[in-house]
Amino acid sequence: MAPGLRRLYRPEPAAVRTGADGVPVSVDGVAVEALRERWLVDDRWWVPRARLHREYFELALADGRALVVFRDLHSEYWYRQRA
Amino acid sequence: MEIACVIDGPPATPLRPGRSGGSRPGRADLQDPVALAERTEAMARALEAIGAAVESERPGEAFFAIDGLRGIHGGGRTGVIAAAREALGSIPGDEDEVRIGVAPTRTAAFAAAHRRDGSVVHPAGLAGFLAPLRVAVLGYRLDAAAPEVEALILALERLGLDTLGQLSRLAADQVADRFGPLGLQARRLARGEDEPLRPRAPQEELAEQLELPEGTAGQQLDRALELLVDRLLAAPQRRGRTLLGLRLGAVLAAGGSWSVEQGLGRPSASARVLRRVLTPRLEGLPGPASALRLRALGFGPAAADQLELEVGGEEPRRRRVGAAVREVRATQGPEALLRILPVATASRVPERWALLTPFPEL
Repeated sequence: MAPGLRRLYRPEPAAVRTGADGVPVSVDGVAVEALRERWLVDDRWWVPRARLHREYFELALADGRALVVFRDLHSEYWYRQRA
Repeated sequence: MEIACVIDGPPATPLRPGRSGGSRPGRADLQDPVALAERTEAMARALEAIGAAVESERPGEAFFAIDGLRGIHGGGRTGVIAAAREALGSIPGDEDEVRIGVAPTRTAAFAAAHRRDGSVVHPAGLAGFLAPLRVAVLGYRLDAAAPEVEALILALERLGLDTLGQLSRLAADQVADRFGPLGLQARRLARGEDEPLRPRAPQEELAEQLELPEGTAGQQLDRALELLVDRLLAAPQRRGRTLLGLRLGAVLAAGGSWSVEQGLGRPSASARVLRRVLTPRLEGLPGPASALRLRALGFGPAAADQLELEVGGEEPRRRRVGAAVREVRATQGPEALLRILPVATASRVPERWALLTPFPEL
């Protein structure tokens, strides 16, 4: 990233609990009401150490918010993302 | 008068094949012309920073007169050369590639720099230094089109005039009859007669570069150019001045580089105008690029001093917004005002959708 530029919608760590099927059931202590969409991103796998391998979930939370979270399939950490 | 020649590595022009020129090097031996031009520019700026009036008309070389600098750098040639070396040392790249030669003329200084770094030719030894040099050296110094110069050197060699000494001993009228004005120019150089240096007017540097993600093309490339224009116009060193021209360049993903110069017709600091003239030039890109560069070529009057072409309508509003942007930026810094630039809105990865970029000055 060149100096002077900033990215929007950077991922932030999130505390996610999942069910047996791997789908989030709560995010940061707020229950998930519905799973709206789920998709997989596997990009730049041909560039060493730059592979982007994520499983995304677009969720509707119990407090009414819509939220996108993803699981990094390398580190197994969860992140939330404004979208 | 003592002239210093600074050269950066091997000559950018390939040596001519033949007796005096040696074999023609392969493509791999040639330097990337745009990278070399950038480095030459950096070299000239570094020399101007020590007070030198620099002439640099070919890539990879710069000349300056030592005489006027003695007083500033310790009173002698050694101090001037040391200051030049120190200034040149700050340029990124291979320091060992830079060589300096000193002589009373450009041709001799150029040959001295090629022969050995730090070579000095004194006025008394000038004729003796030039005499054994091959006439092929004129290929780097004559002020004419390459085919003409090539033809002259070939003709000289066919007549057995292999060295500058042999050429200098010919009578001027004989040379004029056989080789015309270019031959006379070659003879003058061979005799150690050279025109005075033509230093360029020192310029300030205003350039921006943007690394591109792999596979950037089409609309994304246009967006990248838009971003680059915004950053160039937001750079504090522009100080509100308009631009006269631009050099758009690219580092190609497959190696090498590309550049094109674009005049603006009339001085402008409008992002819209800059984008309108530069976007079509992107079509000339010979392949995928890994970085885009934009450099200002000359400055015009400050934007506020320009003649107004249109009164009323959006113009007063644009001017007020422009003044507000400049004021905020002056007090809070160049990154105080940003705007969201959509980059790849169709991407499935949200952080690729948009970038925050400096708000353009209107």
